[in-house]
Amino acid sequence: MKSYTQISGEIGEFSDLPFWKKADAIDIVYVSYGLLIVTLVVVSYIFGAFNFLPFDPEDIDLELMMAGPFTGKHLFGTDFMGRDMLSRLIVGIQAYFLPGLLAIFIALFFGTVLGVLAGYRGGRFDTGITYFTNLVDSFPRLVLILLVIAAFKPDIYYIMIVVGITNVPAVASHIKGKILFLKQKNFIEADIALGLPTRTIILKHILWHNCRSILIIQATLGMGEAILMETSLSYLGFGVQEPTPSWGNMVQAGSNYFMKGQFWPSTAPSLAILFTILGFHLLGDGLNNILEGKRNK
Amino acid sequence: MTAPLLKIEDLRTYFYSKSKQAFIRSVDNVNLEIGKGETLGVVGESGSGKSITALSVMGLLSAGPGVITGRIGFKSDRVQKNLLQDIGDFVKLTMMDGKVMAVQKDEDGWQELSEHRMSNLRGKEISMIFQNPKQSMNPFMTVGRQITEAIQLHTEHKSEQAAKERALEWLDRVKIDTPRLRFDNHPYGLSGGMCQRAMIAMALSCEPSLLIADEPTTGLDATIQSKIVDLLAELKAELGITTMLISHDISIISRLSDTVAVMYGGTVVETGPAKAILAKNEDLKHPYTAALLISIPSSENIKGKGNLQAIEGDVLDTINIPAGCRFYGRCNRVTDKIKEKCERQEPDLRDISPGHKARCWLYFD
Repeated sequence: MKSYTQISGEIGEFSDLPFWKKADAIDIVYVSYGLLIVTLVVVSYIFGAFNFLPFDPEDIDLELMMAGPFTGKHLFGTDFMGRDMLSRLIVGIQAYFLPGLLAIFIALFFGTVLGVLAGYRGGRFDTGITYFTNLVDSFPRLVLILLVIAAFKPDIYYIMIVVGITNVPAVASHIKGKILFLKQKNFIEADIALGLPTRTIILKHILWHNCRSILIIQATLGMGEAILMETSLSYLGFGVQEPTPSWGNMVQAGSNYFMKGQFWPSTAPSLAILFTILGFHLLGDGLNNILEGKRNK
Repeated sequence: MTAPLLKIEDLRTYFYSKSKQAFIRSVDNVNLEIGKGETLGVVGESGSGKSITALSVMGLLSAGPGVITGRIGFKSDRVQKNLLQDIGDFVKLTMMDGKVMAVQKDEDGWQELSEHRMSNLRGKEISMIFQNPKQSMNPFMTVGRQITEAIQLHTEHKSEQAAKERALEWLDRVKIDTPRLRFDNHPYGLSGGMCQRAMIAMALSCEPSLLIADEPTTGLDATIQSKIVDLLAELKAELGITTMLISHDISIISRLSDTVAVMYGGTVVETGPAKAILAKNEDLKHPYTAALLISIPSSENIKGKGNLQAIEGDVLDTINIPAGCRFYGRCNRVTDKIKEKCERQEPDLRDISPGHKARCWLYFD
């Protein structure tokens, strides 16, 4: 069979096909996989929130401890207290989902505001914001979180606020860099000369048309990071506390039995973490490639 | 000459250079007048302050350490005001012996007032075309959307459909083939010449009183250049739009301008009707203008001499402006009689014939 390679470069960019037809097959696969995972997570979250579960996740069944997968109605088996793994996995989503969205919102909102101020206004704003972002960046994130936990209480929302704030510098510097790059091309100057209001220039011409891929990427990366942060802290015992399930404390509880051959109590949540983070990252990456067009093939 | 639409008096735009600890006097005492319906060609070497003059008029320099003083009178059918009124209050400029000694500037107040003054003029009354058409458009928006946006903002065509019709009409008017197809193109899908046409359509679609064209043909190749000039000439005849045309290309200036201002070292050295200034004779003309005309590559200019005559020396360093004539160091027409004056004192811009002013001691006693 003959294979054809698409000629890269400007010819491809000249076509006015809708963006999903211009996209590479691999990007479509990325986005489809990402969308599948994200949809699964969202649907499971809704099921969990309305208590629409196969079993009660905190219901202890002492006769069915450490039952393997596919035992009876327990699809993923049970853990060391006989609680249903699948139900616990679904309810575990609640540990990170809303807090993660909060972290993303904080990072994107404040990052965008600071980035626009630093890039568009420049001058003193730029200096001040650079000092702030350097200050935030210079603290190790885990230390900051442990500080907050020690000062207040081990609440997942507090942790996620810190995760959001520590993500602000990354978003701000991306937006600022993009605006400085756009300022070299003088369409912003041309927009001002055309009398467009500053609001329109910033919101529409800069953020919507030129920065949305940055925001999408940062949002999906931020969700991945939030999941990782929540699970690792819960694993260490700082995050969500037993008996409320979280993927992190499930891995921790199951890890004691891993070497005895009873792998499922730790492996199931581990794989859930792996595939969920992969899904979010691939969604962001694929969307970025499709929306931006692959410039540097 | 009809009543002037734009009258620039004593415009000064200075920038502070941190590395050199001195003020760059990019525009220094510029006086210009553009009559209604006329085209003023501003010509001069790179670094003579042409573009900075235009940007000062547009108020696009308000950010940063720039200092602008002077008077820019703007008088159209709808608006009549001094664009720099009260703006001087925010700046304290201390000059001594023609050197800037100290500057105090209230940056925020300055910016606010400048924005307030210009906000309902930009686009509506004064439009601008830039040198680099492809970079002057948002790369992620279709050409059509960008033109419609301007139309919806500035004219009475507020509805999407009416604005689109109007945009298509203008795209057709600037001779873009198949405007309906181009309407949905992104700027990268257009060639440089087409992009510049679209920019012209965008600038003119709001029917401004004044169009500032800052080197509209630079960066385009020769054939496209001449086509854009043809288009500008046609639009000028058709619409009678007042234009300030900035270029270092004398052939473009001579095709389009009614009056010409020659700039050197941040100031206007000669201004008058295009015919008088661009005529081939050497007398009754500023030596700089004469030297510029001789340095254009043409069969006439190299006839008998074998090669083209360039202007000796470098463009004036606008940090240390000499006390005398700015062109003195490069002038080849200094006579013993006026030599002392040239070195010591800067000549004023005075009439050498009716309507034709020059800044040269040759013509005054």
